Amino acid sequence: MAVVDAVHLKKTYLLGKVPVNALRGVNLKVEKGDFVAILGPSGSGKSTLLNLIGVLDKPTEGKMLIEGVDVSTLNDNQLTDLRRQIGFVFQFFNLIPRFTARENVELSMAITGLNKAERRKRAENLLETVGLKERMNHKPAELSGGEQQRVAIARALANNPKFLLMDEPTGNIDSKTASEVVSLIKRLNDEKNVTIVMVTHDQRLAGQSKKILQMFDGLIVQEAVN
Amino acid sequence: MKAQDIFSYSFSAIKLRKLRSGLTTLGVVIGIAAIVALLSITQGLQNTITVQLQTGLATDTLIVSAGGGFFGGQGGINGANSGFTLLINDTQLINGLENVETSIAIIQRVGYIKSDSGQRTATIVGVDFAQYANVYSSTFVAESGTIPLSPPNETVVVGKRVSDPWKNETVLFNPDDTVEIIWTNGTARPPRNETYTGTVNAVLKEVGGFGIGGPSDSSIYISISKAESFFKTDECNQIIVKLVNSEKATIDSVSDAIRTAFNREVSVVSSTAVLNTLSSVFSIIQLFLGGIAAISLLVAGIGIMNIMIVSLMERTREIGILKALGMKGRTVLLVFLCESVIVGLIGALIGTASGWALANVVARIFVAGGGFGFGTQAAQTGALSSTMIAPVLTPTVFLGALVFGIGVSVVFALYPAWRASKLKPVDALRYE
Repeated sequence: MAVVDAVHLKKTYLLGKVPVNALRGVNLKVEKGDFVAILGPSGSGKSTLLNLIGVLDKPTEGKMLIEGVDVSTLNDNQLTDLRRQIGFVFQFFNLIPRFTARENVELSMAITGLNKAERRKRAENLLETVGLKERMNHKPAELSGGEQQRVAIARALANNPKFLLMDEPTGNIDSKTASEVVSLIKRLNDEKNVTIVMVTHDQRLAGQSKKILQMFDGLIVQEAVN
Repeated sequence: MKAQDIFSYSFSAIKLRKLRSGLTTLGVVIGIAAIVALLSITQGLQNTITVQLQTGLATDTLIVSAGGGFFGGQGGINGANSGFTLLINDTQLINGLENVETSIAIIQRVGYIKSDSGQRTATIVGVDFAQYANVYSSTFVAESGTIPLSPPNETVVVGKRVSDPWKNETVLFNPDDTVEIIWTNGTARPPRNETYTGTVNAVLKEVGGFGIGGPSDSSIYISISKAESFFKTDECNQIIVKLVNSEKATIDSVSDAIRTAFNREVSVVSSTAVLNTLSSVFSIIQLFLGGIAAISLLVAGIGIMNIMIVSLMERTREIGILKALGMKGRTVLLVFLCESVIVGLIGALIGTASGWALANVVARIFVAGGGFGFGTQAAQTGALSSTMIAPVLTPTVFLGALVFGIGVSVVFALYPAWRASKLKPVDALRYE
């Protein structure tokens, strides 16, 4: 069964008073272990699609199935539970500034109710995986963009998600540190078989993926396998 | 999310905005402090006055005075005066009623007592010494000298505060001193001072209170017959009625009988009724002052709401992150409520402590500043001046302040917290 199965997704929202057709019928299947990169110009509907896959938003038309479950049948609490099994990585990291790297990773496990000792141990392991064990007691402001993004990736992995969703993960990082993030993402997919769906402008990062989807004007216009 | 984790998350948010949280807390502190200070001072005052009243009080007595007034003073508060006056020999009528043991007429005027050592203002009370001593056997007692039971006309008995006004052993009047009693006759044309020379026979021991009808520290006592001739009157200000017992039924039936006997032109007050009235007056005062203080807490509450809304807008993105990480709306609500509970709890605790401290400081200043102008009679000002008012913090007030402080914080945080919990993650994340 596909991890993500989007069937003829449409999404219309109002920009002021003007209706915008952000998605105009998108079909997408993501299998376990996939590494999908979505490319396209601004306004082509990449982020809207990502929000729908991440059940942060609901489609206007069409069906969104996560592991076979139609998300339109779920209530708010069930959607929240589902969100706990999806790892989000944002362009602007979205770490909590007052928490250290370790506390940020722990937070997502605290939300699911894991006890303190366990989540501490797991946070340390995850930060070791992303190569930040030495810096885990630093706050985001004391970390470089690349390091912050690696903390965010560690946080996204904390609850053993079904898949990772990444919104331009290298979009806000200088190219030097970006390469660390790129190789980390590649390694997660290669070695740990983590399923990844990612929106990016970064050609180098897209080149690492297994499948590239080209979006234009609310539709997937081209599909290529690397 | 575990309760402990919610708490520590909220607490970290409060710590981050120290100044702002501090000022919000200060609002609660001031509100609670005002309530606690006002209530504990009023409670202390009430206790002090009640204790003082009970000291000089006999529960088996009634006080009859002319008119509809409450306290039988010199007429000032007697309300509409129909011209009816109580006469000294009205005691015979009262003595004839059932359940009455005896009754005593009292004439009183404000005047002066003067000797070589000095002069004091005092209430001059004319009364039958033997009967008075019988009714107020514990308070109409000599400290020095003796109270003659069938006194000659020049006898004067002096209250403790008249003899020793400053509590410092500077004694103005001692037994066997020759004194002049002066009274200004305001009804004579032109008004003139009436004077007679008497001898101090006794100084009363300290009463401490300001008993209704009973002996008072700031009065001097002369025989009723002397008072009649000195004040040139056969009218009396009050008649004190001693009952056979202090049961409510007796008090009520005799009160009624007296009113009927005097055609409802007199007011009959029992000591117990005065106490009850006073305590209900104090309840109203407490409610009133508490209400005023509550307004400041209300303002603090609006402050909390304001801060929470600002904080909510600042943290919209943070809320989006939390929701994307899988925090339930209910938990977001709890996080925000928890923040204001912490602010409310800290504010209420500090507020109670500082309100209590404030009450003690104010009580001390009051005493140092010479006390209250309380008194049932005009000349009795200063009767309380030497009395310490100890503020009282009852458990009810303490718990009430805590609950109220937290309650206000929670109520005013409800709306912002609810709004936070309803934010859509996708909108919250997009918020700049």
